[in-house]
Amino acid sequence: MDELFEADGITPRPQARGLVAHLEQIGLEELRDRQQVAELDILTMGITFTVYSDGANIDRAWPFDVIPRIISGLEWAKVERGLSQRLRALNAFIDDIYNDQRIISEGVFPLELLNGSSNFREQCRGVHPALGVWAHISGSDLVRDEDGQFYVLEDNLRVPSGVSYLLENRAVSKRVFAELFQSYSIRPVDAYTDELNKLLTSLAPDGVRDPQIVVLTPGVFNSAYFEHSFLAQRIGAELVEGADLTVGIDDCVYMRTIEGLERVHVIYRRIDDLYLDPEVFSVDSMIGVPGLMRAWKAGNVGIANAPGAGVADDKVVYAWVPDMIRFYLGEEPLLPNVPTYRCMYRDECEYVIEHIAELVVKPANESGGYGIVIGNRATEAQLAATIEAIRADPRNFVAQPILALSTMPTLVDTGIAARHVDLRPFILTGRSSYVTAGGLTRVALVEGSLVVNSSQGGGSKDTWIVDLHPSVGA
Amino acid sequence: MSLLSRVADRIYWGARYVERAEDTARIIRSYSDLIVDLPTDVPVKWEPLVALTGNSVGQGNVDQPLGETEVIQLLLAEPSNSGSIVSVLSRARENLRTTREVLPREAWYTLNGLQQYVASESERAVARRTRDRYLGRVIDESRRLDGVLESTMTRAAPYYMWRLGRLLERADMTTRVVGVRAASILRLQALNLPDDYDEVQWMAALRSVSALQMYQRATRGPIEGPSVVRFLLYYAPFPRSVLGCLEEMRAVVSLLPPRAEVISAIDWAIKALLASEPDTSEGALLDAAMEAFQQALAEIGETIHAHYLSVPDSDSTPSMGGVTR
Repeated sequence: MDELFEADGITPRPQARGLVAHLEQIGLEELRDRQQVAELDILTMGITFTVYSDGANIDRAWPFDVIPRIISGLEWAKVERGLSQRLRALNAFIDDIYNDQRIISEGVFPLELLNGSSNFREQCRGVHPALGVWAHISGSDLVRDEDGQFYVLEDNLRVPSGVSYLLENRAVSKRVFAELFQSYSIRPVDAYTDELNKLLTSLAPDGVRDPQIVVLTPGVFNSAYFEHSFLAQRIGAELVEGADLTVGIDDCVYMRTIEGLERVHVIYRRIDDLYLDPEVFSVDSMIGVPGLMRAWKAGNVGIANAPGAGVADDKVVYAWVPDMIRFYLGEEPLLPNVPTYRCMYRDECEYVIEHIAELVVKPANESGGYGIVIGNRATEAQLAATIEAIRADPRNFVAQPILALSTMPTLVDTGIAARHVDLRPFILTGRSSYVTAGGLTRVALVEGSLVVNSSQGGGSKDTWIVDLHPSVGA
Repeated sequence: MSLLSRVADRIYWGARYVERAEDTARIIRSYSDLIVDLPTDVPVKWEPLVALTGNSVGQGNVDQPLGETEVIQLLLAEPSNSGSIVSVLSRARENLRTTREVLPREAWYTLNGLQQYVASESERAVARRTRDRYLGRVIDESRRLDGVLESTMTRAAPYYMWRLGRLLERADMTTRVVGVRAASILRLQALNLPDDYDEVQWMAALRSVSALQMYQRATRGPIEGPSVVRFLLYYAPFPRSVLGCLEEMRAVVSLLPPRAEVISAIDWAIKALLASEPDTSEGALLDAAMEAFQQALAEIGETIHAHYLSVPDSDSTPSMGGVTR
């Protein structure tokens, strides 16, 4: 399906009528000018991401396509409810897994999955983070199939990135299409950083009213450093590196300032939990903070996302999320999963191997689109190698049907053409839930490609959630 | 607002690097002026310039001293020389890039622009014809950056760390400008030449720190060695004089979290400065006196490091545990 046009390919969907009319009015040449202005804005605002290539880190301008994606407010309300439901269930699952493991004893979730999980952290057993929430900040990848239904493709519960680009895309698009922002009723996205600040404040140890919050970054060479710096600026937090922090004999976390050591109450960590604390995770890490787990377990510091939250961020565990929703919430899932074959079960595994050319095969714990094999695009040799890998470690693989991702009109060299897109909304879970109005739309710029990751040549678009009034777009 | 020691370190060094680039440009200008004014039958030596700007020649050929092109190349454009203008400015840029949360945005734009200019123009600027324009730009942009901060940055610890870095580096630079003059005296003495060019050369020294006009207003007298040196070292109302820099540093430090060690290092340097009376007629003595000041300044730098930029580990019980914000 196309996001802006009906199945006939020429009739704009109701929410897109205003935009389509506007694009026709300004014409292609003017649109290209606006694209250029947007790209210049991105350069001068220094919106970049870092790619590691040829042994060097290159700071690249953020790729942005001016034509916005538009989703109607009514449709989005369903997605919002579905996402907050999903995150409530995922958090209940993580809390259960590290404590009573009811879901295992009641036979809903297989114990062997946990034993083979590289994101399960034994060191987190018995911990009760504030509010019972582990994955405070998450980003779920959504796709649409031909039927127009949104599916959750995966949940990112560790250190999801992209929200700064979502916010910056809006800032750029407001300038590019100022006139449309007057005629459309587009939901603002700027509340995110304020909600993030409130959420982080709520994670402070008991009795701390005005907590010192820090953003913990691996440093300037990390691909998401721009975002770490951006978020620290927007929420007025200190941007710290591991070496700036130290844990005292009182099991409290301090940062080294020119006035001496100052207490830190909440850490928004943007480093993987295996690197958080070399005392505990035995990974030789220069970016971590020795003693951090002690301080967290003692309740002296809040950490978002909690160490260990990644146990539910696993492409195999994913297959059980609908069951989790039923088990913990007693509700039916509002947002469906993509049907998923689990290679750990022999019958499903045999099916995957037989039908490998029609499936997408995914390793459990890779991110950024790496390690994914798309059956109908892989060579015979690649497929054979994949089958071998599945047989060697079935627990580590799942497979899904190849979805025909929805498309968006996108400005390319030859004019405007359809390109595949996905959507990453960000969800904050604390005392209550908050879902960004829309999300980061990523677009595969190569014709026919389904790979949207910016590290692999993907672009991005602003996403508008619009409330249609009878008078608009009619 | 608290200031992380690591961030303080990057700002302080960012300021020192920018000032060092500006000062290197000033010294090269000043030295070029002196050379031009020397009698044509005196063989011109460029190599002293390397040491004067705090750089080193490395493993060059001892019998074959570096000529003008080599020296200027080394000081402007040589990436492997950590003190070249290209090198110090790219380090300054890196420091500002990683402290964008605390510095005004325009400061970053200014330095980013200067660094890009220098990265593309340094090689070309080795030639005499284009050199002066290049040096002028480095000096001007460095001052513009200070202007941006002076007019738009909150007066708090990050600003004071910036000032501290600037002032310490600048004081050091002024002693080096006097050092340029000392070298010239030595040179003429070695050649047994009468120092006929005294006034012209002292004038060049004053010009290199933009002090000529202020000197003339303050002294209303002729341009003579003892009087110029007194002005450059002790005339505190002039902001590039060594004493002026030290007094301002003392004032800035008093606005930072108090550190007795840093204040006493500054006081000690002021005392040493005031107690000395450099002999301007003997190149060797003048040079030695400047080196002693540079040593005192280096000690101030060390106490700043020890007491602001590095924070001891947690085994020392935090003095303000949980109370501060």
